[in-house]
Amino acid sequence: MEFFIDDLRVLFPYPRIYPEQYAYMVDLKKTLDAGGNCVLEMPSGTGKTVTLLSLIVAYQMSSQEKRPLIYCSRTMSEIEKALVELKALMKFRAERLGHEEDFRAMGLTSRKNLCLHPDVKREKSGSVVDARCRSLTAGFIQEKKRKGEDVDVCVYHDNLDNLEPHNLIPNGVWSLDGLLRYGQKHTQCPYFTARRMMSQCNVVIYSYHYLLDPKIAERVSKDFSKDCIVVFDEAHNIDNVCIESLSTDITEESLRRATRGAQFLENRINEMRDSDQQKLQDEYEKLVEGLRGDDETREEDSFMANPTLPEDLLKEAVPGNIRRAEHFVAFLRRFIEYLKTRMKVRQVISETPPSFLAHLKEYTFIEKKPLRFCAERLTSLVRTLELTRIEDYQPLQEVATFATLVATYEKGFLLILEPYESDTAEVPNPVLHFTCLDAAIAIKPVFDRFSSVIITSGTISPLEMYPKMLNFETVVQESYSMTLARRSFLPMIVTRGSDQATISTGFQVRNEPSVVRNYGSLLVEFAKITPDGIVLFTPSYLYLESLISMWQGMGVLDEVWKYKLILVETPDAQETALALETYRTACKNGRGAVFLCVARGKVSEGVDFDKEFGRTVINIGVPFQYTESRILKARLEFLRETYRIRENDFLSFDAMRHAAQCLGRVIRGKDDYGVMVLADRRFKSKIQQLPKWIHQALLGADTNLSTDMAVSNARRFFKMIAQPFRTEDQEGISIWTLEQLKQHQRKMQEELIRELQATEEKRVNQQQQAQQAQQFISARERPDSDYEMDEDDEAELMALDP
Amino acid sequence: MPPQRPPTSAPRPGGVTAVSSLAPDGLPKPDSDDMCPVCKTIRYLNRDMEFLINPECYHSMCSSCVNRLFNEGPQQCPYAGCHRTLRRKGFRSPFFGDLSVEREVDIRRRVNQVFNQVEDDFNTLRDYNNYLQMVEDLTFDLVHGDEPTKRKAEAQLQQWEAEHKTEIERNRRAGKEQDEQSRRRLAAEQAAARQRRLDAIKEAEEEKMEKIKIKEMEIDSLERGQPLPDQQRVQLKRRGNKAVEAVTNLAAGSSSTADAVGKLSIRGLKEKKKEPRPEGPYDPFGGLDLTPSRYKIHGGLSHPNVEKYRSDKAHVTGGYSFDEYTSRAMFEAFAGLGVFIEDERDVGVGLVASEVVGMGAALAAVGGDGPGLKMELD
Ligand code: SF4
Ligand SMILES: [Zn+2]
Ligand SMILES: [Zn+2]
Repeated sequence: MEFFIDDLRVLFPYPRIYPEQYAYMVDLKKTLDAGGNCVLEMPSGTGKTVTLLSLIVAYQMSSQEKRPLIYCSRTMSEIEKALVELKALMKFRAERLGHEEDFRAMGLTSRKNLCLHPDVKREKSGSVVDARCRSLTAGFIQEKKRKGEDVDVCVYHDNLDNLEPHNLIPNGVWSLDGLLRYGQKHTQCPYFTARRMMSQCNVVIYSYHYLLDPKIAERVSKDFSKDCIVVFDEAHNIDNVCIESLSTDITEESLRRATRGAQFLENRINEMRDSDQQKLQDEYEKLVEGLRGDDETREEDSFMANPTLPEDLLKEAVPGNIRRAEHFVAFLRRFIEYLKTRMKVRQVISETPPSFLAHLKEYTFIEKKPLRFCAERLTSLVRTLELTRIEDYQPLQEVATFATLVATYEKGFLLILEPYESDTAEVPNPVLHFTCLDAAIAIKPVFDRFSSVIITSGTISPLEMYPKMLNFETVVQESYSMTLARRSFLPMIVTRGSDQATISTGFQVRNEPSVVRNYGSLLVEFAKITPDGIVLFTPSYLYLESLISMWQGMGVLDEVWKYKLILVETPDAQETALALETYRTACKNGRGAVFLCVARGKVSEGVDFDKEFGRTVINIGVPFQYTESRILKARLEFLRETYRIRENDFLSFDAMRHAAQCLGRVIRGKDDYGVMVLADRRFKSKIQQLPKWIHQALLGADTNLSTDMAVSNARRFFKMIAQPFRTEDQEGISIWTLEQLKQHQRKMQEELIRELQATEEKRVNQQQQAQQAQQFISARERPDSDYEMDEDDEAELMALDP
Repeated sequence: MPPQRPPTSAPRPGGVTAVSSLAPDGLPKPDSDDMCPVCKTIRYLNRDMEFLINPECYHSMCSSCVNRLFNEGPQQCPYAGCHRTLRRKGFRSPFFGDLSVEREVDIRRRVNQVFNQVEDDFNTLRDYNNYLQMVEDLTFDLVHGDEPTKRKAEAQLQQWEAEHKTEIERNRRAGKEQDEQSRRRLAAEQAAARQRRLDAIKEAEEEKMEKIKIKEMEIDSLERGQPLPDQQRVQLKRRGNKAVEAVTNLAAGSSSTADAVGKLSIRGLKEKKKEPRPEGPYDPFGGLDLTPSRYKIHGGLSHPNVEKYRSDKAHVTGGYSFDEYTSRAMFEAFAGLGVFIEDERDVGVGLVASEVVGMGAALAAVGGDGPGLKMELD
């Protein structure tokens, strides 16, 4: 359908539209017009992606400057899905407009998925593919080839040089798959095609990391213009992604390997001093001049990039004491040895970067400044030495990155040394966690650089938490409710078992037989009445295991077995994938199955249980994080001190977002239906933290049920939902035709006018009242004046008097 | 590079075996700290074995070897090919696992004491960087250079020290001061953080206590059969709101004054969203005072027609209040007095009834009786 929002012509590739989709578009447009950021929560399964794309593409195409869109998603499959939607949208637009638009869109993922080189692509690990590709495509290899030396190169990469650099691939929407096929046909590398064409695209779809991880973002995303529209989809975990991208763990093993890396470097330097002194000298001179040659920063594929150095520092010359290659290697060795010594301590230590630096300086005479340049200096050295087996230097690179980060940030980071894996372990296995506590640091460059950043997800409640944690301002913060023609999902909070004993996974009671039995009977009852699939989430693998073994002893599993097949998620991805497949087959066969999974596991995040794959979801327990972790404790303290977020508020927020994610797994569309059971006493006080669309569907009477009540509710629900229901019944309520949409727009228009009129009237009224009051007061102030006299008159009189 | 010593394992007099695992620069390989290279004791036999080195030659040996060999006085190093004479008091435990780094850092310590210029001492950054490199080159000569280079570097170092004595002294003092300052700042920050943490814990605890207290109070009052007045309960539930807390404390009596004092002294309480003011019982008249102002009802007023019903069962049982009759009669009699239609029309819309009444009263107070005032206004 085709309609207007204000004066923006939107082409929407479906004949009907959901009311919330329209509302979403209106708010999006508002944000783009204002050039600000927003946080939007849209119920899952209401076509968020296509809504977003159709509005933004319409916006791009109608405006002069054609602001490009950077759309970030979490997984490969989500990226591919978005590209497919975009393709359909563009096809629709072409049909409607009668011509193909000048439009290019592309997805980007790692080399592992896009490589075509017959040998390289067979490697299993992503980092090996990266490294091998680099050794075929690095700058100095090209150089050698040009000189006519015999070197291994990748023909897919080199063919790109024969093409027009700004037109490596024709217009159109290129899905990852399409890209691969095109690359195969024309013998050109899909990865580099995408990388180099990115700044020529109207829409780029890729993973969060390309924008958030400063080590990658610097390389991949720096060519985007400032007016780009940035979208983070499925962004409810964005704070964790930010934090992970800046945190490193250092172990004894990695230090050992870093030492070896340093040794390699030294050998290589010695070799080169004998054979090719000139190159080292060239590098040295460049560093003296403080030149970071264009080719260096430009090189699309350097070994590593700088993690977020402040702009002014980037322009400064490398400090004199690490300019020479051998000086720098000795410097690295000293730093590594220092870390090794620190790791020998047998008690937990947590310290801030400044105190770490002070200690470091005292014992090794390493100053802060050269430390900051560590990462950059290493990159330069690796390039000069023309190293090919780059994977050997990975641990060294980690140490260098750590050095740079620790010297750059005083606040928002913490070093935690844990000598033992657990409190009971005897053999030390020290890990030095360098953890980022402040999610705002990694995302700050994004907010600084791009004017419009849109953060959206199906479950991103409470909305105000995100601007607080990530430290940004919003133009619009909105959560949409789900318009439904009938009650298609039934959320319930079960607080008691059938025996009226409270159920909870609180630490003290979680393993009590009565609680476990009550949870068991809850599962059994729902297995009896639910058609097809049931998904059950527990807070942790550990608890899931103990539940299963206790249920086995109580005969719960045997009972469930009569009705459903039982499958379990494990930490092993492959096993879980197999279980999932079996589960789906069982659901398709009609009898159905139960899938037992973990609220923070892979299943809860990425797998959809739409239609028959999930008719009931049971959340056993509030999925709190493991609070004894020192890193979490440090983060909580940081949040409290810096952003005034209370520990308990954050923990509860974090638990509820995961719970909401789990619940959202089963409703993937408006014609989908299902029961959502929250089985824990503590959910009762956390209703407000559920996303609006779930919260609204939760009736007050359903917030404190016992198992038998919940079961009879669910039974009624399934009976009701089984009644015939036609799409026409939904029209006008949960789905609009074009006519209905126009009607809505007219109504909104009228309302707006009425509102304006009302305010106008109010204003006039107020004025009148003010006047009257004025009159009254003046009347009282001058009780002796018998008649009203204008000030002018008075003045006139006075003028006449003398 | 120092001359390479060939690895040897020839037994030496005194039952001491020489070291066989030597790193390129003649020092034992790092990470071999599980066996004493001198007496071959392994860590398995002596768990607290500690290694010591002497900065003369950086050859490491276990502490019992050191005691055994050097307690009697200076001795030659037990390592094969090492002819240094070592003293007991020169031994110390190394900071680094890699002894070549240990040695390097010791040299750096010396160099650093002499070359302690800071960036501000130079005109340009480039000059400073050149200086840094010069120092680094010199250090490298001292650490890795062969004998003549070493000697030359040593001479340079001493020369520089002699030439720049005052500067060095000044910079050292400045550096010390700065170190001291940053140390103090760090300590202060840590103390502040600790204090805030304690505050937070205290706050959380008090909140918990508060909750328990409320619960107890509720139970107590239920026991006594009189539920806590609603208003009080609402106020009690509020956390962290000091003003309200004070009120409650007053209401709760003197027993909790001690609490109140403790509470007010907390620092760093978080600002919370202002909660709406507690709602009192619903007042249908919106605060309008209904006690008659122009008359007073004396008890015992009556009317013969009413009197006879006082004993009529049909009326008494129904609950009819005879005082209600008199008060209504009086109200109707006085209703409308002091209200001036004209004024009402003029002023009317914007004013609330009570204000009009107030105004009327004020006017009445000024101008004596109503009609007179009215005439004046006309
Ligand atoms: S250039 Fe492309 S095709 Fe060649 S190895 Fe690298 S990723 Fe593979
Ligand atoms: Zn010994
Ligand atoms: Zn010796």
